[in-house]
Amino acid sequence: MASFDHTAHSLSSPIPAAPFPSRAGIGLKAQHYQEVLDLAPDIGWLEVHSENYMCAGGPTLSWLTAMRERYPISLHGVGMSLGTASPLDQVHLKRLVDLERRIEPGGVSEHLSWSIADGVYLNDLIALPYTEESLDVFATHVLEMQDALKRRVLIENPSSYLRYAHSVIPEPEFLLEVTRISGCAVLLDVNNVFVSAMNHGFDPVQYLDQIPADQIGEIHLGGHSQTIIDGRTIRVDDHGSRVCDEVWALYERVIERCGAKPTLIEWDSNIPELSVLLDEAAKADRILERAHNKHPENPTEVSHAVIG
Amino acid sequence: MPSLAELQNAMRAVSLGGDASALSDVIIGDGFAPEQRLNIHRNNTTILLGEALGATYAVVHKLVGDDFFDAVARLFIRAQPPRSPCLFEYGEGFADFLATLPAAADLPYLPDVARLEWVWNEAFHAPDVKPLSSHDLAAINPEAYGDLVLTPHPSLRLLESPFPIKEIWDVNQPGADPEASVSLDEGPQALAVLRPGATVDMIELSPGGIALAGRLVEGARLEDAFSTAQDVASTFDPAPTLAVLISAGAFHRHALKP
Repeated sequence: MASFDHTAHSLSSPIPAAPFPSRAGIGLKAQHYQEVLDLAPDIGWLEVHSENYMCAGGPTLSWLTAMRERYPISLHGVGMSLGTASPLDQVHLKRLVDLERRIEPGGVSEHLSWSIADGVYLNDLIALPYTEESLDVFATHVLEMQDALKRRVLIENPSSYLRYAHSVIPEPEFLLEVTRISGCAVLLDVNNVFVSAMNHGFDPVQYLDQIPADQIGEIHLGGHSQTIIDGRTIRVDDHGSRVCDEVWALYERVIERCGAKPTLIEWDSNIPELSVLLDEAAKADRILERAHNKHPENPTEVSHAVIG
Repeated sequence: MPSLAELQNAMRAVSLGGDASALSDVIIGDGFAPEQRLNIHRNNTTILLGEALGATYAVVHKLVGDDFFDAVARLFIRAQPPRSPCLFEYGEGFADFLATLPAAADLPYLPDVARLEWVWNEAFHAPDVKPLSSHDLAAINPEAYGDLVLTPHPSLRLLESPFPIKEIWDVNQPGADPEASVSLDEGPQALAVLRPGATVDMIELSPGGIALAGRLVEGARLEDAFSTAQDVASTFDPAPTLAVLISAGAFHRHALKP
């Protein structure tokens, strides 16, 4: 992992981000548990939504433990709501810490967004207004999450469908300012950048090029859908299809510039056969392999492929 | 310009079905009405929480069909939105909510089917602990059985219904015979639902059996639980019910309380 400026953050014992390999991983879905164990596919790592495994016991937790014995695991949270103005849900934070201790994941990530207001969980990753107030709230919450976990976390850029009149900081600047204040890494979702760029009419390349290579700990690739409203297209980040060609092209450009990074194939709705996810992962691996050959000074981290 | 807290509370209200016009100065329309953009988020909340509810209440969903379920889920989500991001815990009040809906009155068994799905869900996610076995009780002098107090396994739930809910549940599982049907005359039914290992089990109990199990779960001595069960069914013999419950893994610990 590239060097990183730790001066601004307050972890008592920081654990470096991205001990999972710079290979492709897949989002693990319940439909594929048995097949993954039976076939033991050659994939770099698996990612799960943390909230699905915060149960006291039962088969889902047993499945995850079995997976952890075979693959590095990334815990990807959708419920911490780091962008909510009110204090973090301490019960939820404790449950994440407990899960993190149990699973010893390669990475822990969350979103640059909010999902909770007045104690209600909306099950939606809503973009923030990018203001000084939001920056203070968000960075403080990232620091609190990292202090609780005693590790650096990764923060994912959102896909967005609206902008706020009082938003004053461009999103990539806001995200980089969060990394500077908190010491977190970036989980760069290339599909989200593309979705937002198409929805708001900005240049996705310009956005992606602003994120320094050494801040990127992980990349997400997923599919999105298109909805027509009043004759205009809105792209919706539903993770229900293959990664589109435009996003693959943007991804190749990021990897060309930054070298190989752990890359996730996400698929959360209309979940296909496991082979389709593995096929997408193999496509990402081929792009990563070319980067390895081109950047021999940026070695792969395959030695971490089986941890623990 | 609203504070972040004001903005989020206003958007929460919109995502739960409230009027979006108060936010029209805050959201940039950019080719759309601000309400149309907020509606994308309202749809996300409604659809994704509806899917979470449908995963927990798959049999209810199958019984009422997509359109009815979506409509009921939308009402429920707006009345009782989740307070935790762990959505496997969401929907505890759904059975009671169904019971209040006039539109569901044609399916009187629906709330009890939902109750069964909820306790199944609770059992599925309950702590993993080793159940008590009959060997653990072998050393007890039979004369002291009346003093026995049994701590329930953390996954154990008891449920009673005037309807044959287990049969309704069974014929609506994936892979069940599509021709199979259930007569409502097969009810009433009393069930112990539990997950001592990897799978959730449902055990049918007699009226005396559920009375006995209910008192034991409350922490009653076996003698007192038996007495209650005999009040329900005068010829009740506790031995077969106890044997079934213990071998099913319904208990966790035991103690003697003379």
